Amino acid sequence: MRHPVDSYVNRLLRRRRPKPFAPTQDELAVMRTAIDLMAATPEAHGPRPAFVEQLRAQISEQERNEQGPGSARPAWRAPARRRFLAAGALTAAGAAAGVGADRMVVIASGDDQNGRPGQPGPGPGQPQPPAELTPTAGVWRDVAASTDLAEGDVHPFDLGSVNGFLRRASGRVQAVSGVCTHQGCRLDLAAARDKLSCPCHGATFTVAGANLTHPRQSSGPLPALPRLPVREQAGRIQVYAPPPSPSHQD
Amino acid sequence: MIGSQVVKALRFGVRAVWPDEAPTTLPGAAYPDWDAIYADNVGRIYRLMFAKVGNRPDAEDLTSQVFLAAYGPLRATAGVGQVRAYLTATARTVLAEHWRRTLGHQVTEIDLETTDLEDYAGPAAADETVNGPAQQRAARILRALPERQRQILVLRFLRGYSIRQAAAELGVSIANAKVLQHRALRAAAGLDKDGKEGEAS
Repeated sequence: MRHPVDSYVNRLLRRRRPKPFAPTQDELAVMRTAIDLMAATPEAHGPRPAFVEQLRAQISEQERNEQGPGSARPAWRAPARRRFLAAGALTAAGAAAGVGADRMVVIASGDDQNGRPGQPGPGPGQPQPPAELTPTAGVWRDVAASTDLAEGDVHPFDLGSVNGFLRRASGRVQAVSGVCTHQGCRLDLAAARDKLSCPCHGATFTVAGANLTHPRQSSGPLPALPRLPVREQAGRIQVYAPPPSPSHQD
Repeated sequence: MIGSQVVKALRFGVRAVWPDEAPTTLPGAAYPDWDAIYADNVGRIYRLMFAKVGNRPDAEDLTSQVFLAAYGPLRATAGVGQVRAYLTATARTVLAEHWRRTLGHQVTEIDLETTDLEDYAGPAAADETVNGPAQQRAARILRALPERQRQILVLRFLRGYSIRQAAAELGVSIANAKVLQHRALRAAAGLDKDGKEGEAS
């Protein structure tokens, strides 16, 4: 008995590149199992040093060939514009904006209840987060109860100096700034709660902060909305933001 | 050479599935330059790809494609987390394109929600020589099998025995060893649930 999937598996076993064929659903399941088993072999441990060097050289060569102007690149690859807008977003959305929310959660896990995140306290198995990411001015401020934000929900919040949108995806809470990266207008949550739109020039963003559409007068896609450091503690969702000013107590 | 043609095809052909969040410059926690990005992540991407295709030639090709496509956007310095997220998203696209081109089915895929390049730091770096996630997964697959089926798969996959050597070790003919391996893989894949021992007679 000779099955095409056996040839596929045997090529894997002989450390060769397998040949394409038209697999059935059952055969796909067998292939996945064979791949899982191969992933436990020493071959999977790492690339050959020769390969690593060869690819490094190949990339350098490509870089040299691409030095000429006029190559079509996504607009967000223009470094000057990106840096400018990223810096603007930082000042507009508060001192802590732009720091990866994930890393902030890692840092926050060692905090006392109402303290600022001073000592990095990595959770079990987490790498030590770089100290530079700890914001120096701000406090964790309540924005919602954990129960207010079910899986897939989007929830606006406003702390005065910082406003934005919370969402829960795969159990984790994320927060993005609610300020359009075009000219700084406040974004609205669309009725379907699936995107954010700007009332000024019509730009739209995903609830994760990625730019969907941009105004005609902007030269290309807008930068993504900055993420805000966010954590869940004792049933509360908290955003790390500048402390409340006397004129805006919450 | 895989180089520019693939990159071009990737840039223009499957733009829609490109990572939608461009890497931005972060304060701190940044790679100093492209070399650092490459050195820190080439092994991770290779291990991720190997786990998805199960062979070195394809894993190396796909790793090349990821870095050739990503080096432009990532040339500026960027935060470690964002570089990794961007590389993972690029790897997802490259892998999907590989399966589309070769088999017409998404045999395996990279789930952006659950894939963390931190898990692919490698045996040397993570000191998980024996018990990485791939090893645990393989052990789980093998544990569920009857003894003979487990033996043939351990010999063939994990110990690198040829079919002839495995047949000798198990005391069966080569033809029977082939049948045993075929049935063992089907059983491990969750097919043939009728509980047969799978012993070739």
